[in-house]
Amino acid sequence: MKITKILIANRGEIAIRIMKTAHRMKISTVAIKTAAEPNAMYLSYADEIFDNTEEISEIPIFLDIERLISIALKTRANAVHPGYGFLAENAYFAQKCLDNKIVFIGPSPDAIYKMGNKTIARKLALQNGIPMAMGSTDNISNEEEAIKIAEKIGYPVIIKAASGGGGRGMRIVRKSDEMEKMFIIASKEAEKAFNDPSVFIEKYIENPKHIEFQILGDTKGNVIHLGERECSIQRKHQKLLEESPSGALDNHLRKRMGKLAVQIAKAVNYYSAGTVEFLLDSDKNFYFMEMNTRIQVEHTVTEVVTGIDLIEQQIRIANGEELKIRQENVRLKGWAIECRINAEDVQAGFAPDPGKIEKLSMPSDSFVRVDTGIQAGSSIVSTYDSMIAKLIVSGRDRKEAIKNCKMALDKVWIKGTKTTLPFFRLLVRNQKFQDGTFTTAFIEELDKYYFNSEYEEMLAAWLATKMFVEENLRENSINADPENKSEMSPWLLNKRINQF
Amino acid sequence: MNDKLRINKLYALSSENRKLSFSLPLKNRIRIGKRDYVVQLKSDEKYGTYILWKNRKYPVEIVRSRQNKYEILFNDISYTFTVETPFSMQRMKVLNTGKGKTEKESLKAPMPGKIIDVLVREGSNVLRGEPLMILEAMKMQNEIQSPVNGQVISIHAKPNSNVMKDDMLIEIKVE
Repeated sequence: MKITKILIANRGEIAIRIMKTAHRMKISTVAIKTAAEPNAMYLSYADEIFDNTEEISEIPIFLDIERLISIALKTRANAVHPGYGFLAENAYFAQKCLDNKIVFIGPSPDAIYKMGNKTIARKLALQNGIPMAMGSTDNISNEEEAIKIAEKIGYPVIIKAASGGGGRGMRIVRKSDEMEKMFIIASKEAEKAFNDPSVFIEKYIENPKHIEFQILGDTKGNVIHLGERECSIQRKHQKLLEESPSGALDNHLRKRMGKLAVQIAKAVNYYSAGTVEFLLDSDKNFYFMEMNTRIQVEHTVTEVVTGIDLIEQQIRIANGEELKIRQENVRLKGWAIECRINAEDVQAGFAPDPGKIEKLSMPSDSFVRVDTGIQAGSSIVSTYDSMIAKLIVSGRDRKEAIKNCKMALDKVWIKGTKTTLPFFRLLVRNQKFQDGTFTTAFIEELDKYYFNSEYEEMLAAWLATKMFVEENLRENSINADPENKSEMSPWLLNKRINQF
Repeated sequence: MNDKLRINKLYALSSENRKLSFSLPLKNRIRIGKRDYVVQLKSDEKYGTYILWKNRKYPVEIVRSRQNKYEILFNDISYTFTVETPFSMQRMKVLNTGKGKTEKESLKAPMPGKIIDVLVREGSNVLRGEPLMILEAMKMQNEIQSPVNGQVISIHAKPNSNVMKDDMLIEIKVE
C-alpha cells in the first residue's frame, strides 16, 4: 500500500518538519488542532486540519491511541507519523495502526517492544557481543537486591527504568546508604512516566561522552549507519546541544562502533530510522546504552553533514522501498551543531518558563537552519515541552561551525520568556567546549554567572537606575537629611522599615 | 546643616554586592576606560524594548520592581539591583554592622509545580546535596536538594500539593 496521506500524531517543530518533506513528496497531511494550542504554527503547514478542540479528555490527544486511530480512519489517512515523544516508541500504538491497515512510519512493533524494554535490549546486546557496562540482567524488585548487586559491581551505580528513556527514572547511587531513597525515587518516577515501575542497575561510567549512531534500515534486511552524533552537553540527561561528527572519534573507532550499531539493529530486524546510543569513556572504551526507535530531536545535524533527508527515508522505507544508499557512499561532510533553544530559566536551574513569545526573529545566514514550531504571538504552554526552536549551524570544520554558531546566537532575538540562549552564548566561548574535551558532567562545571561581560551588567544597572530616577526623583531634590528623621521622605522611611 | 540636600549620585547594588555608581542627573552615556559611549533605551514594533549600545541591540525587560529593587532582564539574563542614594547607603552600612550570618536556610520552590514526595521529616538531619522533596514541573521530576548540612526545622508542603514559584518549602537550621 502506497502512502498517500499522513496523519501527523504530533505538534510543534517536528510536525512541521515531517509535513515539509511530505509536501515535497506530494503526499498530503492531516494535523490535529488542540484546545491547548488552537493557533499553533504547525497547523498552517497541513493540507487538512482535524479539529479536536471540543474533545474533553484526561490525556492529551497525542497520547490517545484509540482516538488517533479513529481520526486516521475518519480522515482516510493511510499512514501515521508519530514524530518523537508521545507515542513514537509505543509498540501497542504501532500494532494498532497495522491492525487497522494504517502504515506506521517507524519500525515494527516487535522492534519497538524489544528495544523499549531495556532488560530485553541488554540481553540482546549481550548475545551479540556488544560491550556493555556491567549490571543486572533482570529487573530488580527491592532495595536489598539492589544493594547486593551494587556491592558486586562496585559503586557508583545507576538505577534505570526498564521502560525508560530521556533521562527519566534514572538515579546515580554513590554509596549503599543512599540506595533505599534513590531506589524508591527511581521506581516511582518510572511508574509515573512509563506506567512501569521496574528498574535495573548498571555500573555508572563517570564523566563519559555520549555518542550515538544514526541507523537506517529497510524491510529487506539492509541496515546502514549515517555516522555519529555527540550529545555530551546535557543536563540531568536532557540533551541541550548536539553535533555531528564527534571530535572524539577517528575513522577507525567510527567504523568499529558503527558496525556494532548496525549489528544490534539487525538483531531485531530493524527498519526505519533509529539511534544506537553509546557511552565512551576517557580510554575510548565504549558501552552500549540503548536504542531509540524513533526519529530524534537531533536528527538535523546528521541531515546537515550527510545531505540525507531522514524523514524522506522513513517514508520510503514505510512504503516498502529498498534503501538506495550504500554504507560506502555515506560521507560526513563538514560539521553541524544544534542548540536547543528552550523557554527555560538557566539562572533558576533550567526551570521551565512558559509564556507568550512576544518577539521572535532568527538568523537567516546560509550556514543556519532553523527548525521551529513557534512564531511571535505563539505561547509556550506547560502541557507540552518548552522548545522554542532548534538552531542548527554548520561550518567546514568544528572551528568554523563554532564561530558561525557564536554569530548566529547573537542574532537570535526572543522576547516574552527566558530562554537557554545565555547558556549557549557562554558555552560556545568556553575553552573546554572549543577544545572538545568536555564530557556529560560538563554543565555542572560551567561557570554559574551567565553574563558575557561586565558591560552588560553595567548597562542593566544603568537601566535600573534610570527607572529609579523616573519613579522617585521627578522633583529636583528629595528631602534626605540623615540627621532629621522626622522630615525623611515617606519613601525612604518605608525602605528603612523593610530592612528590619 | 541645611535640611534640603541635593542628591548627586546613585548606586546600583547588584545581588552579588557589586556597587555601580551613576552621577545625577543621569546621562545617556557610560564611561568605559577613557571613552564615553552613548546608551539609548528604545522601543519599536519589530524588536520591542531594547538598549542600543555600541551599534548593537540588546533586548531588555523590567521584570518587576518593588520600591528601590529592580529585576532587569538584559540580553536574556536576569539582574537584580537595589538603587541607593548616598544617604541610604550610609544608613545601610550602619544597620548591617553587627548583623550575624544567617543560621537558617529557607528553601523556596524554584518553579511552579506539584510536590510528588517529601523525603525528610521535621527534625531530620540532612547533608548538603541530599534530596529533600520531589517537585514535578512540566512532566519532569526535580529533586529539591539541601544546600547545607543541617537539621530540618519545618516543612511547608505536603505530597500531592501544588506550589507556586517562590513558595516556602522547607526550613533548615544550618550546622
